[in-house]
Amino acid sequence: MKNLLEFKNVKYFYQTKESEINALEDVTFSIKERDFTSIVGPSGCGKTTILSLTAGLLVPTEGEIILDGKPIEKNDSRIGYMFQRDHLFEWRTIWQNIILGLELQKKHKDPEKLAFAEELLKKYDLYNFKNKKPRQLSGGMRQRVALIRTLVLEPALLLLDEPFSALDFQTRLKVCDDVYDIIKSEQKTALLVTHDISEALSMSDRIIILTKRPARVKDIVDISFQGATPLGKREDTEFGKYFEMIWRNLV
Amino acid sequence: MKRKNKKEKIISYSLARKQYLRKIKKDKILVLFWQIAIFVLFLGIWQLLADFNVIDPFFFSSPSRIVTTIIDLAKDGNLWIHIWTSLYETIIGFVIATILGVLIAVLLWWSEKLRRIMEPYLIILNSLPKIALGPMIIFWVGSGTGATIVMCVLICIVITTISMLNAFISCDNDKILLMKSMHANKFQILFKLILPNALPEFVSVLKINVGMSWVGTIMGEYLSSKAGLGYLINYGSQVLKLDIVMASITLLCILAAGMYLIVSPLEKKYKR
Repeated sequence: MKNLLEFKNVKYFYQTKESEINALEDVTFSIKERDFTSIVGPSGCGKTTILSLTAGLLVPTEGEIILDGKPIEKNDSRIGYMFQRDHLFEWRTIWQNIILGLELQKKHKDPEKLAFAEELLKKYDLYNFKNKKPRQLSGGMRQRVALIRTLVLEPALLLLDEPFSALDFQTRLKVCDDVYDIIKSEQKTALLVTHDISEALSMSDRIIILTKRPARVKDIVDISFQGATPLGKREDTEFGKYFEMIWRNLV
Repeated sequence: MKRKNKKEKIISYSLARKQYLRKIKKDKILVLFWQIAIFVLFLGIWQLLADFNVIDPFFFSSPSRIVTTIIDLAKDGNLWIHIWTSLYETIIGFVIATILGVLIAVLLWWSEKLRRIMEPYLIILNSLPKIALGPMIIFWVGSGTGATIVMCVLICIVITTISMLNAFISCDNDKILLMKSMHANKFQILFKLILPNALPEFVSVLKINVGMSWVGTIMGEYLSSKAGLGYLINYGSQVLKLDIVMASITLLCILAAGMYLIVSPLEKKYKR
């Protein structure tokens, strides 16, 4: 598989009134198409900064970020972003939430796109909730809706910013499985940031480990398991070994 | 044996539920009862005290005198003019202040620089007692309905702007980032996120403005007017017909409550 995303010597400085904060110091890595990659690192090490840079919400101080051969633009529309909380709009129905992105890009009258949105809803068991309001759905379902809202725009790359951290542990495992399933069956490339090593292990093909701030890439680990689902992987005997290796790398 | 236990449990549960529901109903009736009782007692005692001259009905009026005064005023036809004038001033003031206030808040949300520049002025305007501007208003727009509406707008607009601006600014930053990540422009962020997100706050502002716009209207009419309930109150006190004052206040209560009742269903609909 070819490289979809490339970070080349990316530096990023935050400006605050008090001082300049060196968030990223020379970050270089690449992500293969259809791979699921996770970034783990100590808290406050600039994981979310990497996602914001990739989404074009921030511009690197130095270095370049290339997506599919072309540099990232401001608010790049080739990127789909999933946040810690689902951020569904309470005043919209599930359907209206899902076509929000299409509406913003003036594609909400395109029958092909709408058919795709309906198909996704049906495929992932949300069609019956089409006209419900977000508050009528469980946390897990809401997160699935949030994922579909991003997928409707057919992004080349999905960014996941600890998308399960607001859920309780039981729901979390289930939603983890669901999201993994959806991403794999839609053949999407995904980049997840998390501080939860088990979560990263259970979902990823590769894990990028960052140092503490200013962040550099400390190590890149390729993961392969027998188990197919995140939950299955958690039960694999290799899981513990990987876990320990990454944990040692982090501290 | 086990089954029997289970059945008992269900019965005891439903009994508790029944008691609970009964208590809620009882409480509701009790509250309503006392609400009515206080109203009746208040009017009754007032009437009796006035009838037996414990309080001087000339100064304190009485429910019956208020009713006769209202009927008399209604008969000579002027009452409707006064009610209509006040109602019209209040509604116009309310609408202008709400629309302008929201527009200013949108502008201040749009430009952070403008917001920072305007901040001290907003604080000063908010703490200034608007009634102090009364004499100036009369010079600027002349006395009468215009002056009253201006007063009404002045009293409502600052609080509308500040409340709505706060609601706009407090929108979750991740939601804005989400919109941006979907390539939304600033207009789309405003119309599809910021405004609908502030709807519950807008309803609260409407409720506050119902009260404030009546304050503005009465203030304005005290200052200078030829008609309106505020004028009637002023007139009544000057010619020492305190029955007219009390009758006007009663009408004012009814009108303000009516306007509140029109706005309050919105709250149920939009409150999260």
